[in-house]
Amino acid sequence: MEQFGMYLGCNIPFNAPDIEQSFRQTFPNLGVEVVDLQGATCCPAWGTAPSFDINTWLAISSRNITLAESEQVDIMTGCNSCFGILAEAKHMLDHDPGRKAQVNRLLSKADRKYSGSSEVYHVAHVLHNKIGVEKINASAKYTLRQLKVAVQPGCHLLWPSAVMKVKEKNPFFPTMLKELCHALGAETPHYSRLESCCGMGAMRSTNQERALDTLKDKLKSMKEEIDPDMIVTTCSSCYLQFDNAQKLLRDKGEIDFAIPVFYYTQLLALCQGLDPAQVAAISETPRDEIIVRIQSKQRLLN
Amino acid sequence: MQTVNLTQMDKEGIAEKVIAMGGEGLLNCVQCGACASVCPVARAGFSLYCKNLIKKLQSGYMEEILEDSSTWACQACNRCTEICPRDVKPSEVVFAFRRIQAEELAISTSAFTPLMSLYETGHAVYNKRSKELRKKVGLPETPPTSIGDPKAVAELQKILDDSPMAELGIFLNLMSRKQEK
Repeated sequence: MEQFGMYLGCNIPFNAPDIEQSFRQTFPNLGVEVVDLQGATCCPAWGTAPSFDINTWLAISSRNITLAESEQVDIMTGCNSCFGILAEAKHMLDHDPGRKAQVNRLLSKADRKYSGSSEVYHVAHVLHNKIGVEKINASAKYTLRQLKVAVQPGCHLLWPSAVMKVKEKNPFFPTMLKELCHALGAETPHYSRLESCCGMGAMRSTNQERALDTLKDKLKSMKEEIDPDMIVTTCSSCYLQFDNAQKLLRDKGEIDFAIPVFYYTQLLALCQGLDPAQVAAISETPRDEIIVRIQSKQRLLN
Repeated sequence: MQTVNLTQMDKEGIAEKVIAMGGEGLLNCVQCGACASVCPVARAGFSLYCKNLIKKLQSGYMEEILEDSSTWACQACNRCTEICPRDVKPSEVVFAFRRIQAEELAISTSAFTPLMSLYETGHAVYNKRSKELRKKVGLPETPPTSIGDPKAVAELQKILDDSPMAELGIFLNLMSRKQEK
C-alpha cells in the first residue's frame, strides 16, 4: 500500500475531527495508508511566524517536514493554509542553498536537519493525481447522480502554482475538485464566483464584517446561479467559514437559506457507505437530511 | 513624459528595507493593477492592499501607513503573485511590510492569541472542546501532534526562544513561566 504522512494542522484535529476521521477511513479504501506524523506542530499559520521572520517560519515548517523525512514518506495535508505554508517553505528551502543552511542552523537547536527528501501534497492532489478518479468511482457504494454541488477549492490549493508539484491547467478556472465530484456522480455547474475567496482566516480575524460580506457575495452567487444541494470544499478553513459563518449570516437575517457543507472526503466517506456519526457529525448548518438522501436505497450502486 | 527612477527615490532606505524583509520584487512594479483586479482584500474594501501598498512604499511612505492594520487582513492567497506580469510577487511585499510593522509592534491585536497558543501548545489554533468532539466521532481524545507531546513543544520553543519574535518580548511571560517550572 502506498503511504503518505498525514499532516493534520490545527483546525482539522481540534475543530473538525470528523474530517480527520474521514481521511483515516476513506484512504485505506483507495489503497493508501495514512501514516501519523507524531509531534507535528502548527505549520505555522500565516499570522504567526511568517508575518514576523522568514527564517523562523522556515525552521518551524521544515521541522514539520523532517517528521515525514524520517518516516520516508511524502506529506499530504487537508488544510489549504498548511499546504500553502509548507509548500512555499519547501520551495524556498530547495531553491536557496544559503537559506537552507541558515535554517538548518536554527533547526539544529531542535536536533533536526532538513534534507528536502519529502514532497508536500494536498489531500486533493493525492486524490486526483496519485489515486485517480477511476479508483474513487470504483470505491463508491452510493451515487450522487442528479445532485448539484457548488465546488469551493480554496485559495492556497490554487496559488501560487509555481511552488506546487500538482497544478491546475488554469488556477483561475480550477477543475480538479469538479472532476473529483463527478467521480461520485454529482453535477458541478459553474457559478461566477467559483474562484473567489470565502473570507476566512486573516480577513475574518481582522474585520469580521468585511469577511462576512465576502462570504455572503459568494453564497448568493451559488444560491442564485445554481441553487446547489450542497457545497463541497477541499479546504478546512473554507469548510468552517461556509458552515459556521453561514449560520451567523442566517442569524443576522442576511440570508434566508441554508446550504449543507461537506469537506470532499466526508462526502466520499458517505458514498463509500461509512458511518455519518463518525465522518460527518459536526456542523452548524444542518446536513442530516442530505446525508439520509445520499445514503438511501435508491442511490445504492450494484 | 517624466521618467521616475525608483532606486534614486529611495532616500529614506524604505525600498531597501522592504526588499531585505522579503519584498524583493518591489521595484519591478509599474502599477498595472493586475494584482488589485484579483485581490480579495481590495474587493472587500480594506484601505491597504497589494497595489496601493506597493505604490506608497515606492513613493517613500512608511510612517504614514505603519499603523494601518488592514495589511493583516491579507489572506496570503497569492492570486496577485500568480497574475503579476512583472514578477513583483506582491504578496511577499505585503508580508515584508507586515514584518516591518511587527518590528515596531504595529501588530493587529488579532495576532497575539494565536502566537501565545503556538508557543504554549505548538498550535496557533486550539479548541478546549476538542477532546469531546474527537471522542464523539470515535477518535482518541488527543491527536498525534504536539498537543500531547511535550518533547515536540520543547523543540518548537527552542526555535522560538532565539528568534526575532522573542526579541520583541511577545513570549516574555510564557518564557519566564517556563523557567519557574
